[in-house]
Amino acid sequence: MTTHFYLSLLPEALIVSMLDPEEFGTYYAVGSAKKSRGQAIFFEVDPTFRHPYFRIDEALKRCVPHEDGSPKASIYVSVYRVLEHVDIDALMDLYLTTQDGRTLGLKSSDQLPPAEEGLHLYQEIVPVSPLVVSRLDPVSFYELIVKTPTSLITVPAITFVELQLGELANDPEMGLVENLPYSNIDHLRQCLSDVKTKFVSTKMVDRTHSPVVPYRCVKNGFFVGNAEKLRYYPMPSAETLRTENYRWFRSASM
Amino acid sequence: MNYTTWIYIGIVGGVISIGVAIYLYFWVMRQNKGSEKAQEVSSWIRSGANTYLRRLYTALAILAVIIGVIIALIFSFNFENIGTTGIVVDPKNGIQMAISFVVGALCSAVAGYMGMRVAVEANVRTATAAEQSLESAFRISFYAGSVLGLAMVGLAVIGMSVIFLVTGQAHAVLGFSFGASTLALLAKAGGGIYTKTADIAADLVGKVEIGIPEDDPRNPAVVADNVGDNVGDVAGMGADIFDSYVASTVAVMLLGASFAETLQYQYTVIPLILCTLGVFASLLGIQFVRVREGGKPGAALNRGTIITCIIYIAMLLVLVFLGHVNMAIFWSAFVGIVAGVLIGFTSDYFTNDQHKPVQQTAKESTSGSAITIITGFSYGLISILPSILGVVIATLISFNVTQASGLPGVYGIGVAAVGMLAISGMIVSADAYGPIVDNARGIAEMAGMDHEVIARADVLDSAGNTAKAITKGFSISAAALTVLALFAAYAEVVEANGMAITISLREPLVVAGVLLGATAPPIFSALLMLSVTHNAFDMIEEIRRQFREKPGILAGTEMPDYDRCVGLAAQGALSSLVLPTFLAVGLPLLVGFVLGPDALGGFLGGAIFTGVIFALFMANAGGLWDNAKKYIESGKFGGPGSEAHKAAVVGDTVGDPFKDTAGPSINTLITVMSLVSSLFAPIIAVFHLF
Repeated sequence: MTTHFYLSLLPEALIVSMLDPEEFGTYYAVGSAKKSRGQAIFFEVDPTFRHPYFRIDEALKRCVPHEDGSPKASIYVSVYRVLEHVDIDALMDLYLTTQDGRTLGLKSSDQLPPAEEGLHLYQEIVPVSPLVVSRLDPVSFYELIVKTPTSLITVPAITFVELQLGELANDPEMGLVENLPYSNIDHLRQCLSDVKTKFVSTKMVDRTHSPVVPYRCVKNGFFVGNAEKLRYYPMPSAETLRTENYRWFRSASM
Repeated sequence: MNYTTWIYIGIVGGVISIGVAIYLYFWVMRQNKGSEKAQEVSSWIRSGANTYLRRLYTALAILAVIIGVIIALIFSFNFENIGTTGIVVDPKNGIQMAISFVVGALCSAVAGYMGMRVAVEANVRTATAAEQSLESAFRISFYAGSVLGLAMVGLAVIGMSVIFLVTGQAHAVLGFSFGASTLALLAKAGGGIYTKTADIAADLVGKVEIGIPEDDPRNPAVVADNVGDNVGDVAGMGADIFDSYVASTVAVMLLGASFAETLQYQYTVIPLILCTLGVFASLLGIQFVRVREGGKPGAALNRGTIITCIIYIAMLLVLVFLGHVNMAIFWSAFVGIVAGVLIGFTSDYFTNDQHKPVQQTAKESTSGSAITIITGFSYGLISILPSILGVVIATLISFNVTQASGLPGVYGIGVAAVGMLAISGMIVSADAYGPIVDNARGIAEMAGMDHEVIARADVLDSAGNTAKAITKGFSISAAALTVLALFAAYAEVVEANGMAITISLREPLVVAGVLLGATAPPIFSALLMLSVTHNAFDMIEEIRRQFREKPGILAGTEMPDYDRCVGLAAQGALSSLVLPTFLAVGLPLLVGFVLGPDALGGFLGGAIFTGVIFALFMANAGGLWDNAKKYIESGKFGGPGSEAHKAAVVGDTVGDPFKDTAGPSINTLITVMSLVSSLFAPIIAVFHLF
């Protein structure tokens, strides 16, 4: 059995497992022996990756099949402050698992998305998970948070996703909400209006925001970066997802 | 015009209708059954439906035999002239009545069985045809629906005509109607409890707790949910309209039988002629229901209904002019059919997401589930008005036109009801199409068919929902007119047995009857809805147990035990029917024998008025909440996962037993109560405590 390394983002953890990514996503989302559910987002990590911060080889020794021959589902190598110790180049595909265990794999892209006019909504996933609005495009936002902070706030590495704002991106006060499922829309409008009119480039909308990502609202894709590098995982269009990954699309659209 | 010939024409029309239904059945069966996976999924649904029907019909057979024996015994004694000749023993009458009852129940059961049988075969074929085109999928599902529509009207017309030919008595046909209604009550209420038990349990655990989508094969209740569509909306709705169709005809026959001897035969047969014309109109109208690729199935169904109405009206005109029939018959039937269609479409206004009530409810859902409930509840109450106005206008016009022509006005009200229901062949065809395409969509999901197939099935399904809303408004209004005619028939039967009947609110016994009658529909609704919640509670525990004990279900490595949920739903539905059945059959008899015929008249009045209002309110409010949720899911007010959506899901769950269990069953309740009263009126007229 092949042993895989996974960097889970919900929660932040490095895991070794004998399950392939789809199986691991299902296992991680719906559990194995009890009724549970929950979204899972994880990277597959290059199996040759090693870092003195992690006792990976020790974990590998414990990652052996069960007595009945079934594969070992998970051995936690580390939790907390994992991303900052992982080399971005070691990250392979990103996997998005719905709460009922359907998994979609995303490949990274060499090209970053073009900067767009209008306001942006970012959900940070790791290391902290606030919901933030900003005038900055994703690359500038990453640079502000990780590389060239203009305030005291900075993180060594970050994973975040840009969410759709629809008409609110250009018209926070009067734009139609349509199919945006965010709670407390009035507060969101106010925050957007503030970054549009006041001298702040970013503003926190919700400091205790759930790290669960509303997949159907992802705008461009997922971003992961540290001081050295930023990597982008583009999200396929809704139409592509519907035609090519219907089951996942349906679960993600609930 | 020879009216006996018309009875034979009616029988021929009925035979043709059944013949076409059988032809369509075999045509559907010849269509491609699709992949092995699709057939396997379909076989689960078919097996679940058969299990339920077997249990239902076994229970019904026992009940029919018991009631048949009671009827045979009671009606073997003639109490009419008890004061002069004493009790006259007349076993022939008792046996006739019992046979009529059993035949009525049997015809209704056969129509329901045919409808179910073809529905569970057509669903997989519709899904398979949707891989090719919308047109072919629509054709299969609609023709399958037509099997129920045509078999139902064919069996009804043949049954009523043959019994009248053989016995020469309208009262004997009343036994046929009572048989049909008793079965309808059990089929509709049982089907309603079944379908919502499965639906609510599947949604609450599958969607809300676990987060799996609709029709996901990992949900242990998914097959029971799909079976429920068939038993509730095919067999249940078929039996319900069969019951109203027969009851309206019998009510007018009874009124005709009370006319002067020279007019008696003609006006007893006229309702059968109206039904016969409706059978031919439906046979022709069905031919116009077609849709092309990219076309709108809903528009095709509506076109079929309108064309059938026009054909029917033209046939009526020809009948009136060539057969020298009283013009009041034409106007009454005309008013009935126009009112039926208009009422159907106003129901659509309150339940369609193109209009303000649904959109407003969806919008206000952003403020939470309490507001959703209050808004939907209020629109549901308002929605009563147009339908009641339609019934009032149809009642007044038909009454006055008929009165002006020299006939008793109440006869015209009955003719309006018959006119409304005469095109039931077409109406039921469109209605039965709904659950077939709903199931087809479920099969497409469960069998993992291509997204294009599911998109086509969605288009078909959406039209089915609209047809369903229209049919509900139509059937409730028709039931309202039917029971008004039955109410008059009850009074005629009592007076024919030598007792003057006075239904005045100045009489305390009448007031007592009105109040008791008014409470019957709410209590009946409560009993059905409590059955749904109790049964759903048990099924929820079962689904949770399966997910808990079989972790491989969610991972897709283990199959759920679908049969357990199917069995729970069937058992729960059937065991819940005892009290509601007693309420429908026993309470009018109790009131009649204890408080007397006047009080029973008041009881029927009270039950009819609150029954019609409750039925309309529940059907429309439930439909409105359902579509408000779908409107949000289409991407409005935050779309799926938003706060508005969560509130709308609560509204939809509350509305489910309103629209699919209690609301439609109330029609049958008030019809059964009216029929029981009319049937036992000769005995109640003699034996009562007060």
